[in-house]
Amino acid sequence: MQMDYFILIAMWIIGIIGFIVFIPRKEKRKGILVFMIFQAIIWLCDMFSFSNNLLSAPVRFFPKATDLTVTINYLFYPMLFSLYYVHMKANGSLKYRITYFLIWVSSVTLFDMLIERHTNLLEYDRITSFGMWVYNGFIFFMSQMCCSWFYRGRK
Amino acid sequence: MIIEWWILIVAYTLATSVLFLIPKGKYRLAIVAFLFNQAITFLVGLLVVDLGMIEYPVRLFDSINRTSFTFEYFIFPIICAAFNVWYPNGSNRFIQLGYYVSYCSFMTIIEGLLERNTELIKYTHWEWYYTWITLFLSFFFVRIICVWYFSEKKLTS
Repeated sequence: MQMDYFILIAMWIIGIIGFIVFIPRKEKRKGILVFMIFQAIIWLCDMFSFSNNLLSAPVRFFPKATDLTVTINYLFYPMLFSLYYVHMKANGSLKYRITYFLIWVSSVTLFDMLIERHTNLLEYDRITSFGMWVYNGFIFFMSQMCCSWFYRGRK
Repeated sequence: MIIEWWILIVAYTLATSVLFLIPKGKYRLAIVAFLFNQAITFLVGLLVVDLGMIEYPVRLFDSINRTSFTFEYFIFPIICAAFNVWYPNGSNRFIQLGYYVSYCSFMTIIEGLLERNTELIKYTHWEWYYTWITLFLSFFFVRIICVWYFSEKKLTS
């Protein structure tokens, strides 16, 4: 239990520091906007997946106000997506884009599975590990579409 | 109980129709205001419910979420987007302040009416002027962030 809270606090610290360190100064605005687009999408998707018992978060912040996991899905994954988007080569080939996408989505899912297995921060109820991979892929893909739409016609 | 759901449906419809009124050149400003507002309201909304200051007896996703998804995810961000899109940028300070005051007062009155007459929101340890002040601060912060966000290019509002 105490360990779980320790991990949550570590996620906040690493999330914030990671954002400051790994997002280049020039790209700060883009980083923040992309962060929030992902947040808006995962927030909506989680509403459906949590209320349909696909997954749950036994240990979390604001337990009285929500069953969603604020730290992981509101801060940490948006930060990872922000890194993903900002560091993606703008004019990479299709093969590069697909590989890059798959590596990121798979790593995030692997991380998610580790948390699920070893802590009480996440529990997969009706969703499987493969389902989680598809779910993460879907959220990454949707967010990327929205970001590309926002930045269409800009460098 | 039925009336609350009708109010929610009307709120979604009205808010969505506001989206169509936003001029094409200001889409980006609207999106940035919408998202920043969402991020702030989400956190504050969680905090306020977790501290037991406000309850939302009738709400969407009620099995997993005790905050008001409708207000925090959609209604307030859209109002904030509209606030920024039609902000009286060239006007003097009094008009700008009046613009803030009218938005906050209008929303506080609506919320007060809903609190008194429906089950959509209940103040447990809350006062109407807390609403007014938090709305004002949210509008103010989002405005500052929007001005910063578009400061490299020219802010077109």
